Amino acid sequence: MIPDEAELTAGVKIEPGKSYGFFTDTTRCIGCKACEVACKEWNLLPADGLHLTGMSYDNTVGLSASTWRHVAFIEKISDGDGRATEMAPYQSNWLMMSDVCKHCHNAPCLEACPTGALFRTEFDTVVVQQDICNGCGYCVPACPFGVVELNMIDGKAHKCTLCYDRLKGGLEPACAKACPTDSIQFGEVGELQQRAHQRVSELHELGVDSAYLYGVPNSPGATGDLGHLNAFFLLTAEPEAYNLPAAPSRASNRVGPSLSFGLAAAAGLALAAAALFGWQK
Amino acid sequence: MTLVSTPSRAPYGREAKYDPLRADNAPITTYYDQPQLKKSHWGTRVALYIFIAGLSGGAQLIATAADLAGGEQHRGVVRRGRHIALLGVFFGPPLLIWDLHSPDRFYNMLRIFRRTSPMSIGTYILSSFSLFSLMTATAQLAGWRKAAQLTQLPAAIAGAGMTTYTASLLTATSTPLWAAAPRSLALQFAGSSFGAAAAALQLAGRVDGDEAAAPVLEGLALAATATEFVGALAAERRHRALGIADAASVNTASGALYKLGALGLGTAVPLASYAGKLIGGRPRPWLMMTTALAVLAGSFALRLSVLAAGNESAQRPQQSLRFARREKVR
Ligand code: SF4
Ligand code: SF4
Ligand code: SF4
Repeated sequence: MIPDEAELTAGVKIEPGKSYGFFTDTTRCIGCKACEVACKEWNLLPADGLHLTGMSYDNTVGLSASTWRHVAFIEKISDGDGRATEMAPYQSNWLMMSDVCKHCHNAPCLEACPTGALFRTEFDTVVVQQDICNGCGYCVPACPFGVVELNMIDGKAHKCTLCYDRLKGGLEPACAKACPTDSIQFGEVGELQQRAHQRVSELHELGVDSAYLYGVPNSPGATGDLGHLNAFFLLTAEPEAYNLPAAPSRASNRVGPSLSFGLAAAAGLALAAAALFGWQK
Repeated sequence: MTLVSTPSRAPYGREAKYDPLRADNAPITTYYDQPQLKKSHWGTRVALYIFIAGLSGGAQLIATAADLAGGEQHRGVVRRGRHIALLGVFFGPPLLIWDLHSPDRFYNMLRIFRRTSPMSIGTYILSSFSLFSLMTATAQLAGWRKAAQLTQLPAAIAGAGMTTYTASLLTATSTPLWAAAPRSLALQFAGSSFGAAAAALQLAGRVDGDEAAAPVLEGLALAATATEFVGALAAERRHRALGIADAASVNTASGALYKLGALGLGTAVPLASYAGKLIGGRPRPWLMMTTALAVLAGSFALRLSVLAAGNESAQRPQQSLRFARREKVR
């Protein structure tokens, strides 16, 4: 094994204590699904079964306990009224996007997990510790992106680990290394964000007005107290077209209001009970 | 299948600051109508747990109120309330562990405390409720009135948590139906829990032939179901404002259960029946008993239908994506 191999393949040295993530530039994606395959191979994930959805070229449909990279295929069939006749630069009439766990800065899945199985690693990524997870399933509805899922066979929650084991060995994550177009770029989050902003201005200069970032501070995706997303995206259509929420929120912000309201109501009813008992005495 | 169209203009502009309100008004193009969220796996088991937790928490609170404020004629309510509280002690933990997918690791719940997680908060509420309720019931059985009075206070405080933390459990997720109404859901659950406890105490008193406290319990059930009703109205308003089809407006089994069970049996029947008696109806014991049974059934139906309708809402991308256009929903 080559020590610090990521320096050669991604130009970044992997050190504990720093923040790592993905910049997924969808204008570069060609929909080859090498990322999906590399992820499955490295992480020994089972196949999802062979079935045709009949929509797009996407038979995987979404992320799941056994699919941690998912390539969305969005066909621009219509331009609103009729058939689309023009092609945007950089993308044909297809938008392709390799989706993944966002490794949120304030991760709702982690904040919901009652066992501490979901934890923040020394690389600032969010990982499920399989030996601690008891399959309560609370992380599943907590995630605003529909990422983490329970596997009913082993009874544990599963999602992208940002190749925790590879990072420990100084290797770039499997999907990023396999991506032939560098649509998936791995690196330190701060540096990736800079690179991404630069790419957006570049695209704007080339006439791709629609390019914007999803998941960097003060942008769609990084809303509602989530902070920023360590795995963020460059998109050219509304977030929803890629099945991404425009303004996801932090679920734990709702604990205080609901708990205090509920307890106040309970206290009020208990006082009413005391008053009624005292009155009848 | 929808035809997906993508705009040729910049959706959020070159340098434009992201404006959630602007996004809110734009039409939503989904990804081939595929679900955008994963739903919870909760069903009947968890609904039963939420029902029992609310019932036993409410019973402990009412017993404590009767003990502190009531007279000798209310001793029966104290005793029976402490017994009903044991339902949560004996059925709560097994139901929850049964619902885990790796139940042999259930004890990992006690590894940490996480204040951002109602499931973690609830673990400690249930644990302390069980401990103190068991102590109170034991002291009562042994005839140590002072000891029972001491342990009933922490049991009642934990009991207040039991009546309502389950609403926070649902609301602190990304499931649109639950997440949209943090406060109203808490009102509904707290009201329904107290209503169920008062109804159960009424029935138990009837069985014991001790109806001294019946008027108090009826008044309490009236206040509780009124609270629940206010919560239901508030939730409906909130859902409508956020464009989420709520349980009362969906054409599914959960919608029917919510309308007939939660709203009908759980609020309309008791409101009419208790209020009717209050404004001078003749005391008809069979009517009061039927009403108490309706309240209990309504309380379970509320939990079952809200769970099911929530899971359905998570599977509808139009709703979850619409909900996620509001930057701050609290
Ligand atoms: S995207 Fe979902 S699963 Fe991934 S870190 Fe964020 S909340 Fe957790
Ligand atoms: S299923 Fe596992 S990882 Fe998810 S919240 Fe429960 S214990 Fe944590
Ligand atoms: S490997 Fe790269 S180019 Fe191929 S589908 Fe994945 S992100 Fe797109």
